[in-house]
Amino acid sequence: MKLADPRLVLLAIALAGALGFALPGHATTLLTEALILALFALSLDLLVGHARLTSFGHAGPWAFGAYIAAGQLLVWQIPLPLAVLIAGLATAVIAIPVGWLCVRTGGVTFAMLSLAFAQLGFAVVFKWNAVTGGSDGLAGLPRLGLPAGREVFLLFVCGVLAAAYLLAHGFVTSPLGRIVAAVRENEQRAEALGHDPRRIRLVVFVLSYFLAGVAGALYAGFAQFVSPELFFWTVSGHVLVMVVLGGAGTLVGPMLGALALFYAEHELSALTESWGLALGLLFMVVVIAAPAGLMGWLRAAMGARAR
Amino acid sequence: MDPLALFTLQVLNALSLSALLFFIALGLTLIFGIMRVVNFAHGAVFMLGAYCGVAVQSATGSFAASLLAAPLAGAALGLAFERSALSRLYAREHSAFLLVTFGLALALTEAIRLVWGADARQTELPEALAGIVFVMDEPFPVYRLLLIGAGGLCWLLCWLGLQRTRLGLLLRAASQNPTMTAALGNDVGRVRAMVFALACALAALGGALAAPLLSASLGLGSNVIIDAFVIVMIGGMGSFIGTVAGSLLVGFAQTFGNFYVPELALGMTYALMITVLVLRPGGLFGRPE
Amino acid sequence: MNITRRPALAALLAAPALSGISRAQGQPLKLGVPTAMTGTWAALGSQVVRTCRLWAKAVNAEGGLLGRPVEFLFEDTQGVPANCLRKAQEMVERDRVNILLGLMASSEALAVMPKLADWNALFISSVNGAGSITAEAWVPNAFRANTSGPMGARALALWLRNSPQTDFFSLSLDYAWGRSSVETFEGLLAGIGKRSIGSVFAPVGTRDYSSFITRIRQANPQALYIALTGDDGTAFLRQAAQYRLFERMPVVTETVDMLFTRPAGDAAIGLVGGSRYSFAYDHPANNAFVARFRAEYNELPDTYDGEQWQALEVLRAAVLKAGATDTQSVVAALRDLELNSIKGPLKIRGCDGQAEQQGFVVRVARREGFPVPAPEVIATFSAAEVTPACRASNFT
Repeated sequence: MKLADPRLVLLAIALAGALGFALPGHATTLLTEALILALFALSLDLLVGHARLTSFGHAGPWAFGAYIAAGQLLVWQIPLPLAVLIAGLATAVIAIPVGWLCVRTGGVTFAMLSLAFAQLGFAVVFKWNAVTGGSDGLAGLPRLGLPAGREVFLLFVCGVLAAAYLLAHGFVTSPLGRIVAAVRENEQRAEALGHDPRRIRLVVFVLSYFLAGVAGALYAGFAQFVSPELFFWTVSGHVLVMVVLGGAGTLVGPMLGALALFYAEHELSALTESWGLALGLLFMVVVIAAPAGLMGWLRAAMGARAR
Repeated sequence: MDPLALFTLQVLNALSLSALLFFIALGLTLIFGIMRVVNFAHGAVFMLGAYCGVAVQSATGSFAASLLAAPLAGAALGLAFERSALSRLYAREHSAFLLVTFGLALALTEAIRLVWGADARQTELPEALAGIVFVMDEPFPVYRLLLIGAGGLCWLLCWLGLQRTRLGLLLRAASQNPTMTAALGNDVGRVRAMVFALACALAALGGALAAPLLSASLGLGSNVIIDAFVIVMIGGMGSFIGTVAGSLLVGFAQTFGNFYVPELALGMTYALMITVLVLRPGGLFGRPE
Repeated sequence: MNITRRPALAALLAAPALSGISRAQGQPLKLGVPTAMTGTWAALGSQVVRTCRLWAKAVNAEGGLLGRPVEFLFEDTQGVPANCLRKAQEMVERDRVNILLGLMASSEALAVMPKLADWNALFISSVNGAGSITAEAWVPNAFRANTSGPMGARALALWLRNSPQTDFFSLSLDYAWGRSSVETFEGLLAGIGKRSIGSVFAPVGTRDYSSFITRIRQANPQALYIALTGDDGTAFLRQAAQYRLFERMPVVTETVDMLFTRPAGDAAIGLVGGSRYSFAYDHPANNAFVARFRAEYNELPDTYDGEQWQALEVLRAAVLKAGATDTQSVVAALRDLELNSIKGPLKIRGCDGQAEQQGFVVRVARREGFPVPAPEVIATFSAAEVTPACRASNFT
C-alpha cells in the first residue's frame, strides 16, 4: 500500500477524530488547531506543489475566509458548518479577479503579487474599524450550529479536512488535474496541444483559495476570534514552510508538514525562549538533509525497508 | 510654511528615505538577479548591521568605525552562510532557498536578542553630523544629507564597478546567463559567494546608517524586508537601474503619501506594486521570467 | 534558575536552590504569564517577566501565598493573539492555572477575555491600556490594575490647565491605541480651555517620520501631543530632535516610558507626559520596591516593571482577603478591594474591575546621579480626578 494512498489518509484523519475522545482536553484543542493548519497547507500544495506557483500571500484567502465567517457568526447568526462553506465560496469568488491578475505571471513575480494582495487585505481590514474591528479584531465569536464539546468540534474539523482532501486528490488525479501537471512540466507543449495555461492555472488558483478560505473559516470558529495578524506575511511564510517541509506536490506531505511544524514550534517555544534559534537551525538542516521534505524522507525509509 | 520650501523639504526627505532603502534593496536585487534566490533573511542582516554599528560605536566612540565594522560583519555572515548552506542547494528547487533563508532569518533574529537583549540600543551621532543646515529657512538635518550623499556614492561606485571592472562584467554575465558564464570557464560558485557576501555587506551597512535615525531594535528586520521586496519587484529583479528607480519611486511615494494621504498610506505601497507588476510583470526595468 | 512550563523539570533542576531560598511548603500556586518574550514587544515583555521573577523570589522568601510557593509559567506569544489564546488555553487546561497575568497587546487581552468564563479563570491586566477592556469588552473575570490610556491622557490634560499653550496638534500611529488616545486627548482639550488644530496618524510600521515632522511644522501648533511608545517613540523623538522640532514647541505624551526615552538620549529632554508608573514617585512603598529592584537587576524599574509589581500586589491582597485561590473567591475578593500599593492608595472597582489610582505627570530631564536623562514627577492627581466613570472609556 502506497504511503499516499487516499484510503490510508482518510483512515488517519478518522483516527485523529477518534483521538479526541481519548486525549485530555487541551491536547484535543491543540490537535484541532493542527488539523485546521493541515487543511491550510493542503490548499497551498495545490498551488505550490501541483501547479508550481509559489505563493507568498496565502494568508490572504485564509484571513479573508476567517473574517467572512466571523461576520456571519456575529451578525447573521449563521451556523458554523454553513458559514464555513459560504466563506469558502466567497473566497473563491474573490480569487477569480485576484487570480486572473496573478496567473498572468509566474515565478517570483507571482509570489510577490500574491504577497501584495494579502498585505492589501491586511491594510483594508486594519483600517476598516467599523466593520472589521480594526487592529483589535473581533472577539467572542459564537460557535453556532454544532453540538457543544471540543470532541465534536474536532470531528467536524476532521470531516471538513477529509472532504477537502478528497476534493484535492480528486482534482489532482482528474483529467483537468493532469492538464495542470502538463502545463507545469512543459507549458509550451501544453499550449500547442490546445490548452490555455492561464485559464488552467486560474482554476487551480481558485480551488486553492477556496480551500484556504474554508480553513480560515474553520479557524475563526475554533479560536472564536479574528484579527488582522491573520493576513500578515509571516503567516504566509509559515504555511509555505509547512508545504516545503512536508514535501510539495504530495498533498499528504504538506499536511504532515503542518502537524510537524505546529507541534515542533509549540514544544520548542515552551522549552526555551530561544526557540527561534532552534527552529531556524532546524529548517536549515532539514532542507539540506531532506530535499523532498518529510514525504521524501519517509518514502526513502519505506523504500529502503522494502528492499 | 512657504509652499516652495515645503516642497523642497519633502523632496529632501524623500531622497534621504530612498537612499536608506537603496542600500537594502541593492543587495536584494543582486541576490535575486544573479542567484535567483529569495532572501528572507535580508531584513535580519540589516538589523545585524544596525546592532553591530551601535556596538562598535559605543566601544570605540567612532561612527566611522561602525560604518566599517557593520558591512564586514555582514559580509562575514553572508560568506559563511553561502558556503555552508546555500551552496548545497543550487541544484534544487527555489523552495529550498525559501526555507533555508527563512531559517536564517529566525535564527539570526533570536541570536541578536541573545547577544544584545530585548531593549533598543543607540548611540549619539558625532558633533559634525548632528547639526542642521537651513534650506529655505527651514532646518534640515545634516545627517540626512549625508545619507543622500552616501546613497549617491554607493550608486556611483556600483555602477562603475559593474561597467568598468572584470568582476562587474562577470556579474552582469552571470545575471543574464549563468550556464553560459560557467561554461566559459568562470567559477560561478565563487561569483555567487562573493555576490551574497557583498549583498549582505550592503544590507548591514544600510542598517548601520539607519541606526542614528531608528536605533537598533528587534523589530527592524521584519519591518524593512517587505519594502525591500517591493522595491526590487517594482524596479525589476537583477536590474541595477531598476533598483535605483524603485527606491526613488517608493521613497517618494511614501514620503509624499504620508504627507497628503496618510490614511491610504498603509496600502499604497502594495497597490503600487500590484499596478506595476500587472502592467509590466518584469518590473519597470527588468525582464519577465 | 529558569522557571519553565514543565514543573517537574524545573523542580529537578532547582531543587537544591529552592530548599535554600523558599520556606513555603505545599502545592505550588501556579500563575500563568503568556506574554511577548521575543519579537517586537520583547522589551516590554522582559520587564513583565523579570518583575514576576523578583516578586516570586520575595513572596517565597516570606513563606509564599497562603503557605504555598508561587510559581510562574512563562510562555512566549510574540504579541500575537492566536499564540496567546493557544498558550493561555494550555496553561489553564493542562497546567491547571486559573490566574492569568501579563498579557501584552490589547488585542491579546480582548481575545482571551471572552474565554475566561468557560475556563473559570481570572485575568489581571498590568500592561493593557485600551479603554474598551473596562468598558464595551468588559467581562466579570477581568480586572485592570494598571493605569489605562484614557487615565494617562486625563492626568496630562489636568496638568496642561496651567500651561500657556492653547493650540495643540496630535501625532500617533494608525491603530486602536493611537486613535483612541488622540480622541481622548482631543476630547479633554475643550474642558481645559484649549483646542486641537489637527492630527495625523502614521501608518503602522512607519520608520521614517520626516514627512510627519514636516507636516507638524507646517501646522505650526503651540504644542505637540504624541501617543507613541517603544521603537516608534524612540524613532520619532530622535528624528524630530534632528529637525530641531522641539525648539519650536513643547511635546507632551500620554505615557512616558524609559524604554523609549532612554534610547532617544538627549532628544527626550523636556518631554512631559502622563506616567503609568514612575520610579521617581516618592513614597515609602515605592522606594522600597525601587531599592529591591535595583539590588536585583542593577537598573531602575520602568513603567511595566512597576505596573506588573502592582498587579501582583493586587493579586496577593485579594488572595489573602479571600483566604483561597480558586477563581470565584479571588474574583469576589477583588471587587471593591482597597490596598496601599507602590503607587499609593488603590481601589479595585467592583463594577468594571478598573483600579482607581493616582495619576502622575512626569518630565524627562537631565538629573544628577543619572547617566541618561530620566523622568521626574512634576504633578500628582487624585484617583477621583483621573479615573473615568464605571464602564466608560472616556470622560464626558
